[in-house]
Amino acid sequence: MSKLMKYEFRKNLLSKLVLLAFTAVGEAAFLLGLFLKWENGLVIGISTLMICGMFGILYVGIESLVTFHRDLNTKQSYMLFLTPRNSFQILGAKVVENGLTIFLTGLFYALLTFLDFTVAAIRIGRIKEFIDVIKNVLENFSVSVTVHSEDILIVFLAILASWIMTLAIGYLAIVLCATVFAGKRLSGLISFVFFLLLSWGVTSLFNVLPDPETMMMQNLLSMGYSFAIALVLYGITGWVMERKLSV
Amino acid sequence: MLECREVTKKYGRKTAVDGVSLKLEPGRIYAMLGPNGSGKTTLMKMIVGLAKPNSGEILYNGSPVGVASRREIAYMSTEPYFYAWMTAGDVGKYYRDFFEDFSMEQYERLLSQMELTKDLKAKTLSSGMMAKLKIAVTMARKAKIYLLDEPLNGIDLLARDEIVRCVLDAASPDVTLVVSSHLVDELEKVADTAIFMKESHLVSVCGIDEMREQSGKSVADRYREIYGHGGVEQ
Repeated sequence: MSKLMKYEFRKNLLSKLVLLAFTAVGEAAFLLGLFLKWENGLVIGISTLMICGMFGILYVGIESLVTFHRDLNTKQSYMLFLTPRNSFQILGAKVVENGLTIFLTGLFYALLTFLDFTVAAIRIGRIKEFIDVIKNVLENFSVSVTVHSEDILIVFLAILASWIMTLAIGYLAIVLCATVFAGKRLSGLISFVFFLLLSWGVTSLFNVLPDPETMMMQNLLSMGYSFAIALVLYGITGWVMERKLSV
Repeated sequence: MLECREVTKKYGRKTAVDGVSLKLEPGRIYAMLGPNGSGKTTLMKMIVGLAKPNSGEILYNGSPVGVASRREIAYMSTEPYFYAWMTAGDVGKYYRDFFEDFSMEQYERLLSQMELTKDLKAKTLSSGMMAKLKIAVTMARKAKIYLLDEPLNGIDLLARDEIVRCVLDAASPDVTLVVSSHLVDELEKVADTAIFMKESHLVSVCGIDEMREQSGKSVADRYREIYGHGGVEQ
């Protein structure tokens, strides 16, 4: 499966490089603004980095759905389905590569944020005062500021898992469009409605589950639920591909 | 040996292949003939597992075709299918990564014979050059069955000769070659068995030499009989 993953990564390499280039520009503007006291640079840098960080993860996921759609609906599909690999391996490579890419993209921006924050604090030279000011502001709004690193990590992983679950729903909708609904009028629209309904269904099902007492447990439950649903959807999608898909 | 048993494939309301039963034996070169829409491509795609039949079954050495058979069956599609970012070199690496029977040395030799270089971008190739690239990468595999869909389409005479030579080089007692084409005369020179398909049905499978000896007819004559005169056999 590693070879399939290698080519999955390669397919969208250009867009990843473009994202990285924008991030580099934003970072350069931020650092120049910080060290040369160039306020506009600082604003441009922070805005660019925020946009790249927020939309980067979103874009990586959406692009994987677009690629999957192309892999099933163009002659490019032969590259995958001529190989001696079954549908579960082909789909698995996509899911794992995309999950890893999203995770690493998120981790990269989290680390970059942390580093930029540290550099800014060192540059300003009053780390403790800087943090205290933030704490005071938050306390004025009655927000608890006791944030542990493991909490941040769990929230990050829960969001990641939720995004992977959404992508798994997208993969299933695309496969149904190319198999069960193939040749039917409005097959694309039907698949999109199916995607919306299934997304609503799995979210509603999660809301029915009992609320854990702590935030940590809630996030852990959300993460487990998302991964479980993604796994079930992966099984169904692979099964449909294996039996019904003609490219 | 490869066997199709009552294979049917439908796309929506259209039946692309209808109840085809066929055996392909090693050591033979088959010419698959028929006009556009007769079901040749769909049948090849089902044999290699790209399309799933609605009914019937396709067996390779007694087992349904699938992942295992794709290790031994090489298919060349009539349409270009390489990723846009690939060079001819990347195409070779891709095949090397996935097919154990692929020989990079053979691929490089074939590229050189076809006057192609590894740095050529797949998306910039002319149709003739693309046809050569597809045949080079397919024939660089040491497969048991080669399915070549319209390999002679849209290419000049010299390139056609190269491709025909390439096909003949691959022929051996344990290899099956299936070549589809509209160029009946070209195929008649290399094939020993003709498969005629018409309107999604298999019309007949006949040995080319036997046909000549028994009825004094060439493949082209038989082709005219089947597809000419409004399709009414004489």
